[in-house]
Amino acid sequence: MAAGVAAWLPFARAAAIGWMPVASTPMPPPPREKRRGQDGLIILNVSGSRFQTWRNTLERYPDTLLGSTERDFFFHEESNEYFFDRDPDIFRHILNFYRTGKLHYPRHECISAYDEELAFFGIIPEIIGDCCYEEYKDRRRENTERIQDDEENENSKDMVPPDMSFRETMWRAFENPHTSTMALVFYYVTGFFIAVSVMANVVETVPCRSEQNRAKEVSCGERYSVAFFCLDTACVMIFTVEYLLRLIAAPSRYKFVKSVMSIIDVVAIMPYYIGLVMSDNEDVSGAFVTLRVFRVFRIFKFSRHSAGLRILGYTLKSCASELGFLLFSLTMAIIIFATVMFYAEKGSTSSKFTSIPAAFWYTIVTMTTLGYGDMVPKTIMGKIFGSICSLSGVLVIALPVPVIVSNFSRIYHQSQRAEKRRAQKASKQAGQALVCKTNPTFETQHHHLLHCLEKTTNHEFVDEQTYETSCMEVSLAKASMSRSSSMSSSPHGLSSCCTRRNKRKSFNVPNSNMVAGRRGSIQELSTIQIRERPVNNSRSSLNAKFEETVPLNSEEQSYITAAVISMPTPPVTTPESGALGNCPDFLQSNIVRVSAL
Amino acid sequence: MSSRRRRCKRQLIKFTQHIARLITGTLNSDNEDEEQESTTVRCHPENLEQLQLQTHFSRQELQLLYRGFKNECPSGVVNEDTFKNIYAVFFPLGDSSKYAQFLFNAFDKDKNGSLSFEELVCDLSVLLRGTTEEKLNWAFNLYDINKDGKITKEEMLDILKSIYDLMGKSIHPRLKEEAVRQHVRIFFQKMDINQDGVVTIDEFSDCCQKDENIMLSLKIFDNAV
Repeated sequence: MAAGVAAWLPFARAAAIGWMPVASTPMPPPPREKRRGQDGLIILNVSGSRFQTWRNTLERYPDTLLGSTERDFFFHEESNEYFFDRDPDIFRHILNFYRTGKLHYPRHECISAYDEELAFFGIIPEIIGDCCYEEYKDRRRENTERIQDDEENENSKDMVPPDMSFRETMWRAFENPHTSTMALVFYYVTGFFIAVSVMANVVETVPCRSEQNRAKEVSCGERYSVAFFCLDTACVMIFTVEYLLRLIAAPSRYKFVKSVMSIIDVVAIMPYYIGLVMSDNEDVSGAFVTLRVFRVFRIFKFSRHSAGLRILGYTLKSCASELGFLLFSLTMAIIIFATVMFYAEKGSTSSKFTSIPAAFWYTIVTMTTLGYGDMVPKTIMGKIFGSICSLSGVLVIALPVPVIVSNFSRIYHQSQRAEKRRAQKASKQAGQALVCKTNPTFETQHHHLLHCLEKTTNHEFVDEQTYETSCMEVSLAKASMSRSSSMSSSPHGLSSCCTRRNKRKSFNVPNSNMVAGRRGSIQELSTIQIRERPVNNSRSSLNAKFEETVPLNSEEQSYITAAVISMPTPPVTTPESGALGNCPDFLQSNIVRVSAL
Repeated sequence: MSSRRRRCKRQLIKFTQHIARLITGTLNSDNEDEEQESTTVRCHPENLEQLQLQTHFSRQELQLLYRGFKNECPSGVVNEDTFKNIYAVFFPLGDSSKYAQFLFNAFDKDKNGSLSFEELVCDLSVLLRGTTEEKLNWAFNLYDINKDGKITKEEMLDILKSIYDLMGKSIHPRLKEEAVRQHVRIFFQKMDINQDGVVTIDEFSDCCQKDENIMLSLKIFDNAV
């Protein structure tokens, strides 16, 4: 991006000649550019494949290996080329990055090989273009997860670290039954008792032939009540012991108590204790019987043993809105058809459609194509509407089911992708902040152009805050004071122009680069001002101007420390001479790369 | 009579087509879109020798300029929108569309709505390597929006407003409406010698050549390439 726009800068600067006749104040002098030599071809020999490109292309990104003097280490004198003993296929993409400004990730390449090449050539992966970034991040995540899984598997097979406390061992045994034989035994025993308990609940209600050959049949539970009671007690004791052990072993007890599994455990064993506590009172026995229903929740304890159940539960939870909408539309249809059927059947005698809620049952049974036959319409209108109801029932019920199924996978993946993208965006921004990829020459020229614009219109760029304050204050400062204050405010303004640029388009410009540039040109400006308008500036205001540049420096220092510094450049010769010739060196070599946060 | 019957027939056919489409289940949008003709404009400049003759640039400079240009605009021409976008990048704080439009019209000599490389590089050579007379002519051409040889107060106001728009809102001191008019007044006071309310090219170039500041500032971009 920077490369492409930089090509237009000469046009924009030439067009600035159009401002000259209308300018109210004289223009700042142009920045001195170091005379670069002829733009030559560079030959890059990567393991035998020769690549050639212009020197300027490589120097667009001066903080990578190829763009900086680091490549001199790889210069091969005999063949007069730069030799790299790396993968030529991946190098092609890296070279394309210099040419087009966009880094692409080839899908057929191995992610770790690609990462290594990028690290070697000093390119940060966060600048991969949007077209390939998601793929790159996905592959990277898979790779790290695979590595982590491998490590975990190895770890679990290895000896446990001996300094794990008993509590941690127990928790580990509960969570991964495969770690030790004891854990496995415990796992199977609890599973067995869950099954036994559920079976007992079911068999309890089966009618058994009573011994006395009475006419009334009793259920097995009432016949063998003692046996069932003993079985129940045994199961509940085991469940209680398991729950207490898990509670003790949990690393965070509060989190454990809040988790779904522990709630299921509690609900599974509570009815027994409540039944024990309550006496055989006639009033509460009804409620007690209801509580027995909760014993069926023991079957949910199987979800610890089955990952599939957990996944199902999660997908149901994530598709709750879709299911809710389906229910809502069904309810609408039911109400409509029930009303219609009720009014259609109102006339007929001995009609079962006594009220609209009564017709709900008919509608539901018909729409789901069950058709029990306990309620049938008798009038002709009723039959017509009944047939319409059953036809539309097929549409209303049968259609959304595959839609919901596909919605499951779509929503599941979508939410995962949205989370992924959010995380990727955050890390991408953080990573891009560390990247400094602008040409310093381009920066100085761009700033000179903006400065010319300021001079043409005789207004300066300021920060948004200063703009607000200036709006509120009445500007009754003297001309010299305003000029000197405007001098100090201009660097902030110009820095803000480029920082705001960041927010609009992804055009990263380091802050201090600009500030350093401003410092240089302010010195130039101050000298010119002194030469041309000695009458306007009193001595005190001149001193004030220079004094204000000093706190400027300290302000800049605080600017720099507030942000992230990535690559310090080699120290520069002192810029104290102040002559215009030295300023460009000062500008370009004292650049501490600071992120535009 | 027959036209009415024809119309009825057409509507009937359309109706049956609609029903048929409904039954067969084809979507409306699938077969109604014809293939969009994608017109690509490709334009390439004349040869290098010709351009060397027409401009003051050396061969290497022309090569460098064209390489950068071609990288940005592979089709070989710049249209107004691209121009506006480029200017939006250079002047991010303000609204550069009006100024970019004026500039585009100034560059576009043959008024065909797109800038070719020759037009750009010829103007560039005038601006960077041309004589003062040529530069002033170019500036006059820019200000003269309707290209009638005279700059009126309204044209100047438009131009200056667009330049002030480049700055954006966060400027100090705050931009007042009167400031732009004042600027126009100052300009006309300086340039309009015979006070007839318009500035002609002769008045313009005479005044500019007398003004030291303007002469100096015309030279500052001479080494921009």
